Amino acid sequence: MSTGTDRFAPGDRVRTRATDPAGHTRLPRYARGAVGVVVERAGRHPLADDRARGVAGDAQPVWHVRFAAADLFGAGDHTVTVELWDDYLTPAEEPR
Amino acid sequence: MSRINDVGGMAGFPPVVEEPDEPPFHADWEAHVFALNGALIKRGVYDLDEFRDAQERLPVQQYLAASYYERWFAAITTLLAEKGVATPEELAGDEHGH
Repeated sequence: MSTGTDRFAPGDRVRTRATDPAGHTRLPRYARGAVGVVVERAGRHPLADDRARGVAGDAQPVWHVRFAAADLFGAGDHTVTVELWDDYLTPAEEPR
Repeated sequence: MSRINDVGGMAGFPPVVEEPDEPPFHADWEAHVFALNGALIKRGVYDLDEFRDAQERLPVQQYLAASYYERWFAAITTLLAEKGVATPEELAGDEHGH
């Protein structure tokens, strides 16, 4: 989503994209296809995946999303917060 | 395709060794590489994401064997050639082609 009202708000549960893109991405492999909770919006920025390919792109929200380490790695009591572009996310309740 | 830079959470790598009172640069050339990259991005020769992409496209063996700023230097030379700013020969300091 490039314009208008934010799709997400703090506390929303979101699922990250599971696909492994061909080029540069800022969605780390360990956080793909995972469900986390939106912490806050971290500004707006064009998608890094596009810019890396020489495509300008429109600014979109970037989110801090918190995951339980056990959900990402199968173990651990801590949480991991990752900065993720809007394009990487869908509402967790939507079918994959 | 997942690239060699994307190793977060991957087992098998040695622990990260922290250096007490680590200086920003370990050699003068590293500071020059840092400054050169900033100048090229500021001039719009390439952007930060193209720079990261160029590092990730390094051959895996080269990527793993290189130091932090060696990766930067390799990415800069890759992009200068791809953007047509300089030929690989010029970048190698051999502007006469021999």
